[in-house]
Amino acid sequence: MVDLDHKGWRIFASPLVGFLLLFLGLPILIDLVYSLSRVSFTNLRSPEIVGFGNYGEVLGDGQFWRASWFSLRFGVITAILECVLGLGLAVFLSPLIEKRSWLMAPLMLPLMVAPAMIGLMYRLVLHEFVGPVPYYLYLWFGDSPSFLNAENAFWTLVVVETLQWTPFALLLFYTAYRAIPDDVREASAIDGASARQILTAIELPLMRPTLIFTFFIRFIDGFRVFDNVYTLTGSGPGGSTTSLPIYIYEAFFKQGAIGKAIAASVILFLASFVGLYALTWLSRRGKGAAS
Amino acid sequence: MLKFTKITLSALALITTSLGAANAAVTVLGWPGGSEETALRAVAEAYNAQSGVADADKVELLFYSRDGFYDKLQADMAAGSSAFDINLLATYSIGRYASYMEPVDLGPDAAKVFGESVLKTMQFDGKQYGVPTDLSLHFMYYRKDLVDALLADPAAKAKYAEISEKYLGKALEPKAPDSWTWDDWAATALYFAKSVNPESPVRYGTVLQMKNLLFNIMVWQSVARANGGDWMDASGNITIDSPAYRTALELYKKLYDAGASPKDSLSYEYAETNAAFGSGQVATALQWNAAASELTDPAKSPAVAENVGIVAPPAGSAGRADHIHGLGLGINKNAKNKPGAAKFLQWLATEDAALLYARSGGSPALLPDVAAKIAKERPDLVTLGQYAGAYGYVMTGATSANAFPVYELQAKEFTGYWSGQETLDDALANTKAGMEKLLKP
Repeated sequence: MVDLDHKGWRIFASPLVGFLLLFLGLPILIDLVYSLSRVSFTNLRSPEIVGFGNYGEVLGDGQFWRASWFSLRFGVITAILECVLGLGLAVFLSPLIEKRSWLMAPLMLPLMVAPAMIGLMYRLVLHEFVGPVPYYLYLWFGDSPSFLNAENAFWTLVVVETLQWTPFALLLFYTAYRAIPDDVREASAIDGASARQILTAIELPLMRPTLIFTFFIRFIDGFRVFDNVYTLTGSGPGGSTTSLPIYIYEAFFKQGAIGKAIAASVILFLASFVGLYALTWLSRRGKGAAS
Repeated sequence: MLKFTKITLSALALITTSLGAANAAVTVLGWPGGSEETALRAVAEAYNAQSGVADADKVELLFYSRDGFYDKLQADMAAGSSAFDINLLATYSIGRYASYMEPVDLGPDAAKVFGESVLKTMQFDGKQYGVPTDLSLHFMYYRKDLVDALLADPAAKAKYAEISEKYLGKALEPKAPDSWTWDDWAATALYFAKSVNPESPVRYGTVLQMKNLLFNIMVWQSVARANGGDWMDASGNITIDSPAYRTALELYKKLYDAGASPKDSLSYEYAETNAAFGSGQVATALQWNAAASELTDPAKSPAVAENVGIVAPPAGSAGRADHIHGLGLGINKNAKNKPGAAKFLQWLATEDAALLYARSGGSPALLPDVAAKIAKERPDLVTLGQYAGAYGYVMTGATSANAFPVYELQAKEFTGYWSGQETLDDALANTKAGMEKLLKP
């Protein structure tokens, strides 16, 4: 093991620090300047500094709060559904997958499809005149609901997102479930524990880090959803399916309000940072209390 | 070592030569993936084959994908890209790109080919920014068999009068589609809706494209325009909160709420509308002219192709109106070969080039005497030219730098009203406030 002194570390770390400053630091700095400026595509190189007006405009925009609520609700609901379904499938299918591991390949197929393609696919699948779902609903029940109107679009999108990403949760949960040593299960069974007790008192606590990790990964992915929502419903009638990334994209490209779009992204960044810091603090506090 | 140096120098010379050639050519960024691309390829080939065109002025074509085309174009132009000398532009985005482009002189003959009104679709602040290559407007597509049956049946006429009395407040008599008013069309749409008339041979009377998308507002706004609506008056005041806009917005909501259009119409755009009408379960559709080739082709729309009728959009209290906008080609301000680019555009504005473009699948709006020369091969272009000349309009302010965001705003607010999320008064008030901000001088 080479023992590096302080100067040595500086030399070795400098390329990485330089890279980060160039490719992350500089854009962040430009973003901060733009967020304080009146800027559009016509004056990108000469933005006019106007202070915190863009932040005020974003925070006073009802659509920003509706988009935030959409993203939060969408992220939490899809993460819960994916984790519950993924966990159920992992436990239920575990004996089968253990014997026939090739089954994992078809189960993972939805993950291979680009989310934008999923959105386009469901535009066809749910179309009243060419889609198989409305076709069979008409055939069997004489009617088909409106999947993408303002009332139902949110839940249709939740189902589409859940169907695509549950296999991701299944993969992680199955791996964690199989990593639990069999002798732990055998010992608890010998002690008289039922299958339910083994699951709730032994297996789930041992899988807790994976459960938490998967939930947050899926929540973050759901919160920043863009592709499949945008290709399936756009921002929805009256902006009803506008997620925060769609709000920022539309402000930037469609309205040409670059300062406002970047101010919204800075607010999102700060909120995420505070949220993650709070979670880390809570997690540490929980560990401290447990010890 | 000497051998290595020779190889290196030869490679450098080759690269320099090829780069030089690439720089000298005129690079055209076109609209990809449709009839416009096919037609542009044909005229570029013809232009390059001319003996008088220097090698340095030969045309090379460049295409992005259609998805997010204008976003990518905007980012490129704002960054001062010189990767293309000529770029696509559209009537509704011309104000947005004008500051990155050079005005172009198309010569005196251009007006004899396209006419002044069509040339105006490529003008901003009184300057010509491009050659109008393709024109888009709307047709009212209808099922001839269904309408003929309606017109021939006294019992059906009585039912029609009863339905129009109930939903529109006046007993109407069925008319031939080319003399429809918007009320006649609405009555027909209601008559052919199963939810209104269970005896209807089809499921829906019309298919409304009501997705929150700016292009759908372009389709719908002819209802408002036909009743005298406009974005602003001569003094620059926003006039969106007018009886014409209220009538037009209420008409769509009434039809949607009555079930005259598919339940998912709030997520429908061009493709969904074609699929719905092509299924044989819809009686009428207000749709872009580009759909004509698909809807009248027995191979693509076997259920309806033989029975598709096409007329201009119906009339309102102020007459008949048909939204027009053009696609065209203009010169990038950062072009490396501006003289070569101007030469190509001037040639593209000649009658021969326009006719070749039309024969190759493009849809230029040509004056009647020019369109007559290709009437046998492209009868749709004769109709296109007639409708554009007689009913074509561009809303006041719809070529300004913020026309795009105005359409976006209207799409959001009006779909909010149609979906029942906000009142008509709120939708119009929000739109007016937003437009005042976006279109202020």
